[in-house]
Amino acid sequence: MLHAVRTAYLDIPDEVPEIPANVGSRAPLGPRALPQDLRDRMQSARQLLGKAERELMPTGLPVLDRLLDGGLPRGELVEVVGGRSSGRFSLVLEVLAATTRAGEAAALIDLGDHLDPARAEAAGADLSRLLWVRPRTVEQALAATEMLLGAGFPLAVVDLGLPPLRGGRGIEAAWLRLTRAAAARGAALLVSAPYRASGTAAAAVVELDRGNARWLRSGASPVLLAGLGGRLVLEKRRGGSAGQSAETSWRSAECLTPPALEVRPVRLFERPRLAASA
Amino acid sequence: MSRRVETGRSRLACLTVPLFPLAARLRSEPELIREALAILEGNGQAARIVAATRAARAAGVRPGLSLPQARALCPKLAVRPRDAISERAAEEALIEVADAFSPRVESAGDGTIFLDLDGLPRAASLSGAATTATPDPDGLERALGRDLAAAADAAGLPVRVGIASSKLAARVAAGLPGSPVIVPAGEEAAFLAPLPLARLAPEVDLSSTLERWGVRSIGDFARLPPAEVASRLGRSGSDLHTVARGLDPRPLVPREPPPSFEEGMSLEWPLATIEPFLFIGRAALERLTKRLESAGLACLRLELDLTLEPEGNLRRAIELPAPSRDVKTLLSLIRLDLEANPPGAPVIGFLFRAHPDRPREAQLSLLGPAALSPDRLAATLARLFALLGPERVGSPRPIDGHRPERAALVAFAPPPPPLVMDRAAARQGRGLLGVRALRPPLPLEVITEGPAPEAVANPAISITARPIEVRPVVANGGEDVARRLEIRGGVRVAAGPWALEEGWWTDDPADREYWDVELFGGSVYRVFRDRTTGDWFADGIYD
Repeated sequence: MLHAVRTAYLDIPDEVPEIPANVGSRAPLGPRALPQDLRDRMQSARQLLGKAERELMPTGLPVLDRLLDGGLPRGELVEVVGGRSSGRFSLVLEVLAATTRAGEAAALIDLGDHLDPARAEAAGADLSRLLWVRPRTVEQALAATEMLLGAGFPLAVVDLGLPPLRGGRGIEAAWLRLTRAAAARGAALLVSAPYRASGTAAAAVVELDRGNARWLRSGASPVLLAGLGGRLVLEKRRGGSAGQSAETSWRSAECLTPPALEVRPVRLFERPRLAASA
Repeated sequence: MSRRVETGRSRLACLTVPLFPLAARLRSEPELIREALAILEGNGQAARIVAATRAARAAGVRPGLSLPQARALCPKLAVRPRDAISERAAEEALIEVADAFSPRVESAGDGTIFLDLDGLPRAASLSGAATTATPDPDGLERALGRDLAAAADAAGLPVRVGIASSKLAARVAAGLPGSPVIVPAGEEAAFLAPLPLARLAPEVDLSSTLERWGVRSIGDFARLPPAEVASRLGRSGSDLHTVARGLDPRPLVPREPPPSFEEGMSLEWPLATIEPFLFIGRAALERLTKRLESAGLACLRLELDLTLEPEGNLRRAIELPAPSRDVKTLLSLIRLDLEANPPGAPVIGFLFRAHPDRPREAQLSLLGPAALSPDRLAATLARLFALLGPERVGSPRPIDGHRPERAALVAFAPPPPPLVMDRAAARQGRGLLGVRALRPPLPLEVITEGPAPEAVANPAISITARPIEVRPVVANGGEDVARRLEIRGGVRVAAGPWALEEGWWTDDPADREYWDVELFGGSVYRVFRDRTTGDWFADGIYD
């Protein structure tokens, strides 16, 4: 910290820039009165405050971090939307794993009762820091999430599961109340839904295109599910531009080959090719 | 011990609550303090008044009157029977006040307790708790007495305090006006001498004998020769003579701390609905949590004892996920429990029993992530228990085995956060494909290619033919299926089978053949055929 301050200080050029002639009693006070190069180096306390408020929580998924300018914004609601086999649940597990691994507590509100603890552990989650809540309806899920945000959980992930959702999308006012609860405590709130549920409450919406399964083949018949490829599209971004997209890929736990690579048929008895000169 | 008392080294305080049955009642119903209220003991014609408030006493209501006599004097007199439950709770509360001052406390019953003050005034003066700066022990003890009275007052019990070197002198001192009354060490006999003999509460025939002898004060009695008193008045007279001389051989018998805290009352009229019960219960819970707080404890298990009208008892136990002192949470748990299983008869009395535990502490970290507040977490978990049921809230754990639909749940008690947050670890994930477990596995109809597995002669080497189409099982009109998710379509890619055999030695074995199938719609499922029944299920969706 001190080092950073000193470096910043030493970076200021020795020669004092020429002060413009119009700096006088009528010139506005504050940073605007300063020359451009000095002004760029200054930060007001208000700016620092804004930075702290916009603290980000890494998702463990570099692609998603890039789309969201660094991670899940604390105090805001981010919604991921995707159908079956879009990689949405993998993303949920990845975010839970990243947060619990960093030493923070996280809550998963799992409407569809879909969590397999062994898979979550394989994804790197610290299960002792994970609270698993299994509501029966969307309404219960919203109530439970509000309680958990109030208790100070730094991350609450609401997975609405697969359609048909028991209880519809929930009332929009309830989603807005959740956003306020998250903002009050500076908690990150991630909602994973099969279709848009949180309405205007979401600060960012990431849509997952249906993934394409990748199979490891041997000859004509597939032998192993190698993984799932997909695409993330930033559909909405409050205070930013939407529309960017990025490719993702998920590796199957049973398969050691990274699925991003082109998987070629495996031939067991391939004759070694000898050099012509030998 | 008796020698210690005689040498005057040990100092005792006596706390006594005047008109204890009344004080205990007023602690439960403080709004009656300004009313003309009398406490009645006994049944029917034999009922007699044992205590009355100032307003009632001003109208002439005295202990010993019958109810019609008292009503004749004061027509607006409110009457309550003696309530054993609230008296017990008040007694406990008084003991806990004393516990905060001394580790050695004896309860003498009926709102009187003794506590050992050895070393306390000195300690109090050192810690600055005593408000006086005078070094003389009398002043320090007086300050301590005032502190004791203030603490008991905060617990809702007005007390009088007496401090002396023997139990009896302390008790007599506590009975005098001008509390706290301090009897200096070794001056017990001189202190007792001018007081009327009735202060020692002698037996009825003994006191009449002494009155005939012309013995009026304790001092008169103490001056009689011991041997003569013993030969004329017997054992009880001899004992009384010993105490009159300021000697009290009875040692202090400290009590064991209780394993649980109790608070409750019997009601004037039966309650048939839940709202009034919770209204009264809230006050009792507030008293209970206050007592727990003064002992540095929190409630881990709350037992509810309901006395029903006309007869019967109902006992309920509410387990809390973590020790809590939050009245609102406890109350909502009681409400949910009673709403789920109503008592079935009006309630005429209740008792809350809290089994205590140490509340969880959190160590705050300067640089690491913030820990959850244990109090708030306990309250939230309790509310989630109430909302969803304890089997749906907790920290997940894998179960040893291969069946993915099984999972264990343990109480959520996160370890303290690390001193420094590991952001680098958070940034790089493993990118592992997740599976949504389907609980319970979803029954399917699967059309396979080739011969059906039953056709294969030897089931031990049977291999399921490749699935080519999947559709949901429609049974019982399909009502249940309509509310669940549907898996239907032609199979584009199928990989498998993988055999899973588990728990063949148990009642619930699993013998399955797994396939990963991708349907033409693009979704990928994990399906299996139960080899014992031949039925197909989906137990996971790759997502």
